[in-house]
Amino acid sequence: MSEPRLISSYLAVLADQLPASIVEELADGLTETHRSYLQQGLAPDLAAESAVAEFGEPQEIVAEFARVNPARRAARRLLGIGPLVGACWAAALVTDRASAWPVPFTVRILIGAALITIIGLLAASALSTRYRLAARAGVAGCLGIAALDAVLITGVTFTSAPMTWVVVGAMLASTARIAFAARSLVPALAR
Amino acid sequence: MRAEELKGHLDALLLAALEDGPRHGYAVIESLRQNTGGRLDLPTGTIYPALRRLEQAGLITGSWSVVGGRRRREYKLTAAGTRALSGKRADWLDFSAMVSAALEGRPCPSPA
Repeated sequence: MSEPRLISSYLAVLADQLPASIVEELADGLTETHRSYLQQGLAPDLAAESAVAEFGEPQEIVAEFARVNPARRAARRLLGIGPLVGACWAAALVTDRASAWPVPFTVRILIGAALITIIGLLAASALSTRYRLAARAGVAGCLGIAALDAVLITGVTFTSAPMTWVVVGAMLASTARIAFAARSLVPALAR
Repeated sequence: MRAEELKGHLDALLLAALEDGPRHGYAVIESLRQNTGGRLDLPTGTIYPALRRLEQAGLITGSWSVVGGRRRREYKLTAAGTRALSGKRADWLDFSAMVSAALEGRPCPSPA
């Protein structure tokens, strides 16, 4: 039995926005729904209309899949713990007079720009109802925050910055965040 | 029942639909429809992301098979899912008994 055009078009809209494995599952469900309406005696076109109406708006389905995307969930958690890690570094920078650390001005600017970009990526992922944007921005944000934390830890270790307990605390907070980001990336990249 | 009213209970309903054995997405929807007397008013396409969410939470597992030339994803409860369903069922029975008692103006039964 050939697939009615309405169902093909509906699945094409989903295929533009969702991974193939998800679309395959939805196609199976939609085909079964259509078949059920045919068995109830509806004409093929009316059965297709009923099946599509029962399934719901494609954008609503895409938005629901975006909400459960592991990368988006990781982005939301990283945004949640971000202020805590940031506060640790802020305490280290203030108490240890970071302005006197031997870090070139350009590097400071680059770190600030990277942080703003990463927050933007994580926020885009956390708020997006578009699956691919939520997934890609989330993965990029996770990688970015892990890289930034690694740069901070490495930088503090290899500069002549004083290693006080506040600095060590900030480095531990960053290490924990790297571990969280890495763990979050596994399910996010598996999809 | 409207979608908004269902949302807080959807996880328990989906877990209950899988209690009798593995089911694919459409069969889960059919089971929900039968068990709710056809009063389920939810875009059925949104059941699939909910199943993925439960899978990520480790409450169900999904596996692929091929049926009639189409790939089909089937879900089954995990041990954690069975425990979660028992907990949600007990919570719901307590909650509904409390609300029923309050609405009918009779003493609330003590929790089980």
